[in-house]
Amino acid sequence: MIAALDSESAVAWFCTYTPLEILDAAGLVPVRRYGDAGSLESADTLLHTAICPYVRACLAEGIQGEGPHQAVFVNSCDGMRRLYDAWRDRFPDDLVYLVDLPRNTGDGAERLLAEEFRHLARALGEMTGHEVTAVDLREAALAREERRLSYLRACEGLCGEKRLRLAMAFHSRLYTDMPPCGEPAGTAGGVPVLLSGNLLNPAGLVASLDRAGARVVWIDLCNGDRSFATPTLPRGESLDELLGSLARAYLDRHPCARMADAERRYRTLEETVAAVGAKGVVYASLKFCDAYLYDFPRVQERLERAGIPVLRLESDYADGHVGQMLTRVEAFLEMLE
Amino acid sequence: MDLVKTIKEHFSERLEPSTFHSRFFWRTAESLARSPLNRPQWKADRVSLSYFLAITRDAYLGRGPVVWCNLFVPSELVLGLGCIPFYPEMATAVVAAAGMGPRFIDRAAEAGFSPDACSFHRCAIGLALEGFMPEPSALLAVNYPCDSAPLSFAFCGELYGRPQVTVDIPLPGRPGGQALLAQQLEETAGLLAECSGFGGAEVEKGLAKALERSNQALRYLREVEEMRKRDDCTLYGVDAMGGISVLFASMGSQAGADFYRLLAKELRTRGCAGGDSIRLMWMHIKPWFAQGIFSTLAKGGARLVCEEYTHATWEAMDPHDPYNSLAAKLGNHFLVGPVERRATHLASLAEEYRVDGAIHYNHWGCRQSCGGAALVKQALQEKGVPTLILDGDCVDEREYQEGQISTRLEAFLESLR
Repeated sequence: MIAALDSESAVAWFCTYTPLEILDAAGLVPVRRYGDAGSLESADTLLHTAICPYVRACLAEGIQGEGPHQAVFVNSCDGMRRLYDAWRDRFPDDLVYLVDLPRNTGDGAERLLAEEFRHLARALGEMTGHEVTAVDLREAALAREERRLSYLRACEGLCGEKRLRLAMAFHSRLYTDMPPCGEPAGTAGGVPVLLSGNLLNPAGLVASLDRAGARVVWIDLCNGDRSFATPTLPRGESLDELLGSLARAYLDRHPCARMADAERRYRTLEETVAAVGAKGVVYASLKFCDAYLYDFPRVQERLERAGIPVLRLESDYADGHVGQMLTRVEAFLEMLE
Repeated sequence: MDLVKTIKEHFSERLEPSTFHSRFFWRTAESLARSPLNRPQWKADRVSLSYFLAITRDAYLGRGPVVWCNLFVPSELVLGLGCIPFYPEMATAVVAAAGMGPRFIDRAAEAGFSPDACSFHRCAIGLALEGFMPEPSALLAVNYPCDSAPLSFAFCGELYGRPQVTVDIPLPGRPGGQALLAQQLEETAGLLAECSGFGGAEVEKGLAKALERSNQALRYLREVEEMRKRDDCTLYGVDAMGGISVLFASMGSQAGADFYRLLAKELRTRGCAGGDSIRLMWMHIKPWFAQGIFSTLAKGGARLVCEEYTHATWEAMDPHDPYNSLAAKLGNHFLVGPVERRATHLASLAEEYRVDGAIHYNHWGCRQSCGGAALVKQALQEKGVPTLILDGDCVDEREYQEGQISTRLEAFLESLR
């Protein structure tokens, strides 16, 4: 059962830098939205066609009445900011909020993000009438950490589409309604690869990787393993201290390509490849995502220098074209074997 | 194939990076700029041409630390710290105007850069890969107006092995946002001072001087703006858009102040052209390689009376409080944060300049402008300003459909009559 989308407390979120602990602490029920990949054209009146298809899919889904329309966005990229703009235009009477996110990760960025989290906590308190306290935040953060650890246990042995679907379910469902793990895929068959990119459709490109004989053992995607890889449990006594510590934890996550510290991202990727025993990296990203368009030549050069083969794939989110990719994927996997 | 095209292609093929490192080349370029053969429409244009030739020459000849800047980096900060500002986005506009964009865009494609990214930045990357850019001491990007600059500068920083800094402008209306931005600007100034060898007193003095000159330029720019609101001001929008580089890259220099002083003086002298043209506002940037679009406007009896990026968006600054002043200048720009700010700004420009219609030129790959175009159009139409959205490219002429654009423009002008 998906979280009660018609409930007054349900709030949509779209980016893994959304500080869910603060939303939880404000008495909201955060529900990750993945949009409707099949009806992107519904968004054409408000968003240009050369904007991230995930962004357009989310707007399309919102327009078609799939709630909640209360939403918290992150200022993570031009596309996401434009989604916030369109959403606010379309749903002016709903709680719609934009959280800022620095590109840097140093002390100055931590101060900026901590200030932003304080602002968010105050604003949500005013909007919902539920003031965020240190106790609320600590409890919410503990529950989120338990949830993260539950995911890591549940995804043990799962690969590819199954693993991605599980991650998405953990992002979307209520704490009390965790999906069964199903049968782990174990280690039987397939060439172990790490999948890296922004956000993908599990039924499209990811499923096609499974069909081609890849065993996707780690999913470095926004809707995959990335947000479960590191804890975001804040330390401190006062609300102020907790929010400051939470800001640091979010900046220390496995980074998205939009962050300035590319060196850390490449190092993390290399280390993860070694840790999960992947033989290569499939780098797949949605069209029109600048962060990943500019990232690819650098990441390719870096990984190949480390002796890690890379295959570049592109997705339009609906992924009607995946059949054409199979040959390339199969050739890549053959080369890895 | 026409003669001009043949000459361009011949020149493009023979162009070598070493050309730009030759003193002879720059002496020749400066002589041509000063010669009677170069007869710009406005005296002020001589000032800006001379300034940009001089700083570009100095950048290529290594006469000081070169700092790559994206559009939003305040030139006052770079000039005040004794560095040479170099704006790759402006360099690619020049390359596009010379019809050489495709060569360098293709070079970036060979290196793995997708055609879905902004051609300003793909062209800049191609230029860098071929060795045509002046080598930076540091690369400085602001997180607005778009994602492309911090990302492409990061690649180039790695390419040259030089520090690349990104400044995060906080969202508008955040308590403490200006102080957090000022702090970043001060830290950035520290890096620039390391490049130029400026000590504490020189930094203070350099920034104060740059801000005073910027304030002078601002006073004259305001005069220019007032005169441009008249009926059929003699300064055409297409020429005014050539001044985008002056507005962003020369503030803090004497040339910036002189440019607007001369322009204001000349506008006063020339007076008003009279006439009853259709008054239009241009949004985002123009295609640098094509003039056909503007001929169509002229033939249709339309004039561009105002443009999105040629206005002052800041107040006079305090030379003794440079970081807070620059933070206010940067943080209050209408492109920072939600599109609502941009739409409100454009709606008020439309009202002040009494426009009959507006054109939004969608540069392919620009998520910040294309992404908000529909909402901007909606805001303008609510104010009774008919708005046309044109899809095209500013740098890559292969992505520009002249016929289609002319047809749509003509129909739009017809609807305004």
